[in-house]
Amino acid sequence: MPRTDVAASPSLENALESLRARGLGLRRGSEAEPLETSRPAVPTGHPALDAVLGTGGWPRGALALLDAPAGGGATTLALRSVAAAQAAGGLAAWLDLEGTFDPAVAACSGVVLDWLLVARPQDPAEAIELAAWLGRSGLIDTLVLDLGERGVPERRALDRLGSLLARSGSTAALVVAPAGRIVAGAVAGVRVALHRSAWLAVGRDLVGQRVRAVVERHRWALAGASVDLELWFEEGRRIDPLLVAAAEPRPVVEVEERPALRVVRSA
Amino acid sequence: MRLLALVWPELREADADVQPFERMLDALDDLSPRVEAVDVGVAMVEVTGLTALWGPERRVAARAVMLVRSVAPLAVRCGVGDNRWLATLAARLARFERDGAPAAFHTLERAELRDLPLTLLPADAATRQRLALFGLTTMAQLAGLPRSSVGAQFGAIGERLQDLTRGHDPRPLVPRRRPERVEASATFETPIDGVGAAGLTLRRLAADLCDRLRDRHLAPGRAVLELGLEDAPDLRVAQPFPQPALEPDWIARLLLSRVEAAARARLTAEEEPRVASVHLRFDRLADPTARQLPAFEARAGRWEELRWSLERIRHRFGPGRLWRATAERPTAALPEHRSRLVDIGS
Repeated sequence: MPRTDVAASPSLENALESLRARGLGLRRGSEAEPLETSRPAVPTGHPALDAVLGTGGWPRGALALLDAPAGGGATTLALRSVAAAQAAGGLAAWLDLEGTFDPAVAACSGVVLDWLLVARPQDPAEAIELAAWLGRSGLIDTLVLDLGERGVPERRALDRLGSLLARSGSTAALVVAPAGRIVAGAVAGVRVALHRSAWLAVGRDLVGQRVRAVVERHRWALAGASVDLELWFEEGRRIDPLLVAAAEPRPVVEVEERPALRVVRSA
Repeated sequence: MRLLALVWPELREADADVQPFERMLDALDDLSPRVEAVDVGVAMVEVTGLTALWGPERRVAARAVMLVRSVAPLAVRCGVGDNRWLATLAARLARFERDGAPAAFHTLERAELRDLPLTLLPADAATRQRLALFGLTTMAQLAGLPRSSVGAQFGAIGERLQDLTRGHDPRPLVPRRRPERVEASATFETPIDGVGAAGLTLRRLAADLCDRLRDRHLAPGRAVLELGLEDAPDLRVAQPFPQPALEPDWIARLLLSRVEAAARARLTAEEEPRVASVHLRFDRLADPTARQLPAFEARAGRWEELRWSLERIRHRFGPGRLWRATAERPTAALPEHRSRLVDIGS
């Protein structure tokens, strides 16, 4: 049987043209979803990072992965993003899978607790489903999906969440998932990797860290740019401006991983 | 004037579930237009002239019992008298004919008060003790004393108690304001499969009711949805709204998620309920323009709208999922004392 090229089929082309004329946004499956442009992107809280991202912040209707190991500053950056989104008049939600969200730390990061919803799902699957429900409402500007160390989401579920957010077009979802970052990285439209370049110290006290944020993937802008960010350890107290001025960078010392001690029971 | 007092002993207990009481009062509206909720578990109904319609007073009381037992099968004492005091005392004196009887009935006339003990009077312990010191034990003894003497010894309280022993009670019946409500219903010629399939009909009914209320500048605060099922008992849910609203989409979606959760809890997975009718009722009507905050803070309006979605999420995922953080003691030494999380659903 001779093979028919469907793209060249005049009837299909005509049908597609008529659909486009009606204003339906048609695209090939291999093309990226169109970016929501009617509303400005959600600011990250760091103007330098906004500039590097190319879209002016986290794009709405997309998943963004903050790719960092535990303690690498992803949560701090997410909190700053929530605070910035709220300062722009938005609502935010924090999906806290491991129950580690600390309102005091959030408040010190500038988050207004009155306009923050905290959701505590029971497992990663439920977290994704809850995120989908909240994203579908179209009322949340920033949604942080903090899956923690034990949250390895299913690829299909994340795919579904990504397409649903794209259809909704109003929510920017930040995924903080040290354990599931490989899965999330494959689905996310934006992936920002955080690499610690220096500690920030006052005397012998570590008060923060300097991280290099690298835009490793961006579906709607040029990837590859990077910027240095200074993230402060807040731990529930407000950062003193004098402390920021007095802090000095210290080099990061790589420590070789040692094998864990084994407890040997005597007979 | 003839009054019927209804007392539900089970509802008078401290840990009683008083939810059915309001619906019982609603049911009594079908008997008489003048129904008063005296207290939780005590209702007063004016039955003047109802004997011409329903027969003797015992039969009128039996009809009232039938109406309230359709709501909740609780035992009830019924008393009939010329005023509040006589009707309430009659209900108190009513004795159940046997254990487990649904109702007890008693009628009390003024003349029957004479031989009753003074301990039945609503007096405090000190007054009762003083009455006993004077050697007064029956109502006839107190009723026969000169009013001036009673007033001199016991004051205004004594005069009021003497009025009661003579069968006089000037307190009028204060009928409760009948809660306003609007209703609409639809019946399917052929029952439809699944609760979710009733969504479009539900949306249409909600839109109809909202249109009726919009002209009066009213909005519902609660909806009661009843689904008539073909081979199962009817499904009934009462859903309070996050705030009075005239948004048929929000209302229909919230009710649908609630009724789907109720169906999941009651029916097994294999059982697909067939819906024969939909009945929707809006009550707790209020003025929607009373909410001013969104006019000044746009985000407040969006948060109000979000609460509808959160309510649906709560029905879908259960309680304990959605929280709001509040700043408790911002200057506390320990971070965990500075704020706390509050369950939105609680």
